[in-house]
Amino acid sequence: MTDFFQNIAVTTLPDITEIKFKNIDKNYLKVILISFLLIFSPFLTGLILLDQFVFPEEIKENMIFIYSGFIVLFVYGLLHLLLGLPKRKYALREKDISYKSGLFVKKTTTVPFSRIQHVETDEKPISRLFGLASLSVYTAGDSSDDLEINGITIETALQIKEFISIKINE
Amino acid sequence: MNNPFNFSNFTRQSPKGIFVIYTNLLFKGIKVTWFLLILIIKDFSKIKELGATYFYLGLGAVLLFLLIRAYLTYKNFQFKVENNHFILKSGVLKKTNTAIPFHRIQNINFKQNIIQQIICVFEVSIETAGSSDTEIAIKALSLSKAKALKEIISKNSEFGKEFITNDNSKPFVRIGFLELFKVSLTENHLQNLFLFFAVLLGFYQQIEQIVDSLGKADSLDGFIEAKTNSVSTSFLFIFILLIALIIIAFLSSFVRIFLVHFNLSAYLKEDSFEINQGLLTKKTIVLKKQKVQNITISTNPFKKLVGISFITFKQAVSGEINKKKNKLIRIVGCKKEQVELIKESLFSVDEIENSEKKFSNNYYKRRLLLITFSMLTVLYVVLYFILNETTFLYSLILVVPLILFLIIKKVKKRYYKITDSMLLVSKGVFEAHLTYLEIFKVQNIKMKQTIFQERSNVTDLILQTASGKIKIPSIDIEDAIKIYNHTLYKVETSKTSWM
Repeated sequence: MTDFFQNIAVTTLPDITEIKFKNIDKNYLKVILISFLLIFSPFLTGLILLDQFVFPEEIKENMIFIYSGFIVLFVYGLLHLLLGLPKRKYALREKDISYKSGLFVKKTTTVPFSRIQHVETDEKPISRLFGLASLSVYTAGDSSDDLEINGITIETALQIKEFISIKINE
Repeated sequence: MNNPFNFSNFTRQSPKGIFVIYTNLLFKGIKVTWFLLILIIKDFSKIKELGATYFYLGLGAVLLFLLIRAYLTYKNFQFKVENNHFILKSGVLKKTNTAIPFHRIQNINFKQNIIQQIICVFEVSIETAGSSDTEIAIKALSLSKAKALKEIISKNSEFGKEFITNDNSKPFVRIGFLELFKVSLTENHLQNLFLFFAVLLGFYQQIEQIVDSLGKADSLDGFIEAKTNSVSTSFLFIFILLIALIIIAFLSSFVRIFLVHFNLSAYLKEDSFEINQGLLTKKTIVLKKQKVQNITISTNPFKKLVGISFITFKQAVSGEINKKKNKLIRIVGCKKEQVELIKESLFSVDEIENSEKKFSNNYYKRRLLLITFSMLTVLYVVLYFILNETTFLYSLILVVPLILFLIIKKVKKRYYKITDSMLLVSKGVFEAHLTYLEIFKVQNIKMKQTIFQERSNVTDLILQTASGKIKIPSIDIEDAIKIYNHTLYKVETSKTSWM
């Protein structure tokens, strides 16, 4: 088990800059694309319907701007997600778990095992199609802002969960 | 310790509890229906015509119903102590069975509202760090029984081994009338005024809604309009209004401070603090030192002048922080020696106070300046287009230096100090808040860096504790990484329980 994750032992001062972070699963790209399209397509349909049936002439004349604005938003959102994907990384060490993410705002979070209240794995519908899951770690206090890793394979998620559970009970 | 009560069998609270529960229910009823009651009293003559007997019968039925409910609540409320668990059975229709292990219990508080004071019983509330559902309040216990319960719970759990409630011991803080007067005089009156108006506005809206539904909205609106017209015409009126506002601000501070903190006395014990305070509702709080997550010592220029500050103790909470404001425990009006004593008793502070102040990077100041001045520019441009004149631009002569002054104040107060085991974070503008945190009590740690911060080689550091976040904005990245690594090292090697 321990060998699987190649943990770095915390014998002296741990150094966050020297950890080898792992990328999340490549298949998560597909999950992101599908959910992105699922969110955006209702908006597009709504816009087209409004254009056809509701909008008066004055607005229709400017429809080209509205559509291009929509497309810019679409492309920006897509690019942000796609470029942000390789930034999402995680790492496990002997005594803590870390997660990095963010394109414009870079975040690094580390949760020591000794402070974890519970661990959870979730298989969301689209992720499940590609055999992916997410892992959430909760600590005491305001739990809204703890650590969540999306897009790792179900096996990895379960293994990490098992690993952390053992570590907590040590 | 020979304890007259052992709580090994299910016990009920004192029969006086029926009365306490009953009055509680009545108060709740009045609170919900107060407007209806006013209407009834106003038009009582009409009701009399319709038949007063029915009205009295109805009222009697409601009162009787509440009495029966209070009795049943009392009858079904039973608790005992078993295997280091506090076990509670309650509920009339929906039966609940709660068991709380002693080590989960965060503190045991005694409370007395006016009625409980009159009939000489104490409300004992048992607080846990878990969800609010598991918070327990036993409405009425005699003092001896309440003390016995507290003793059993604190004796059996790992904290409070020597929990001697020595009534003769001297309080290390006692805030008398005069001191409390000083405290309220030096409060942040502006904030209190806003609070007061918020309450007033809510009140006004409530009345308006009801009046509106009765179709009398016009008269009220007309009344207020007439008043505001006269305000705009008369300078004297504005002056009087200003004076009135100041008086209101002071008064609301006084009332608030006196209600909550009246007769404040704090006792220092081996592993806990005991704090007594309150005018109408007397409250006794026992705070275990080990469960304190961090403390904040706050003062403002006025308070500094009279040499007082207030201390806020933060304990572990779960769920949303804001909903649990009552978990903040505050000792107001502490003198310097008393503050030192409290700090000293919680952790060794000498080293941290003598270590070097480290300020946020210049980037922090630049960002504050950039944000406020771009907002100001936008505001003035918009104003220019609305008013279409330039005279108001002269106000900039006052506004710009004021903003600069505030920003410089804010930047100067933004610093931190760190030693091997402690972290001190300072912030504030006029007020100064110093937060002391033992590093091993951190729950998780985060670095946050925007691309602009990255260019200046700075980062925000966010330490999450069980009682909320502590943020150190825009510090040099090398320092941040050092703190990050050190914190993790401390947390991962610590053997002490964080609560």
